[in-house]
Amino acid sequence: FPPGFETIPRNPIVLDLAYNCIEFPVLEERKKTERKGFISRLWGGRN
Amino acid sequence: MAPKSKEKPKTSASSQPPPAIEDLFTTLDRHIQRSEYEQAVKVADQVLSIAPADEDAIRCKVVALVKDDKIDDALSVIHSFHKLPIDLGFQKAYCLYRQNKLDEALECLRGRERDSETLLLEAQILYRLGKTDACVDVYRKLQNSEIETAEVNFVASLVSAGKASQVKGALESW
Repeated sequence: FPPGFETIPRNPIVLDLAYNCIEFPVLEERKKTERKGFISRLWGGRN
Repeated sequence: MAPKSKEKPKTSASSQPPPAIEDLFTTLDRHIQRSEYEQAVKVADQVLSIAPADEDAIRCKVVALVKDDKIDDALSVIHSFHKLPIDLGFQKAYCLYRQNKLDEALECLRGRERDSETLLLEAQILYRLGKTDACVDVYRKLQNSEIETAEVNFVASLVSAGKASQVKGALESW
């Protein structure tokens, strides 16, 4: 005592990787284009 | 996915106020980024009420339903648009796989370009069907595709195919 460790068989892990391939289309070109004014351009990317 | 060049609703902006589709897509994209899939489906439906064959909206609706685990709904949406020239074969095969309709799923993949997503799904279907040798073969084809964690499934298929002794070598060459 305590009993020693021993290996036991188990089912191997399978991941659902195909799920990650179900992707949304890119919508950038379908979206309303935000017109950035002079001020926001000065702030460069802080939005 | 190929970039889409669709007729933009901007062209006939002379007399009528511009359609709200751009705004809807802005909202739709925000819901997608926030994983608010139920909302995304609603907004996609709004787009489809204006433009009933809008490919992006249809794709968004199908993907949002899958991500929301509403596989039955996703399949019926795919079915309802099957007359349109929009390729939703992979999504359909995935939904069938999730419903454990494995032969149908495999059938659905037949004739598709054997790209990595198709191979990944095919391998998972074969694994569930217990066709472990065929499954191992498909994972070998994916060996150089740099798909993250695909080696986990490859190992599973080797073990299930009674080829556990090959695991070490397979992983070293992965």
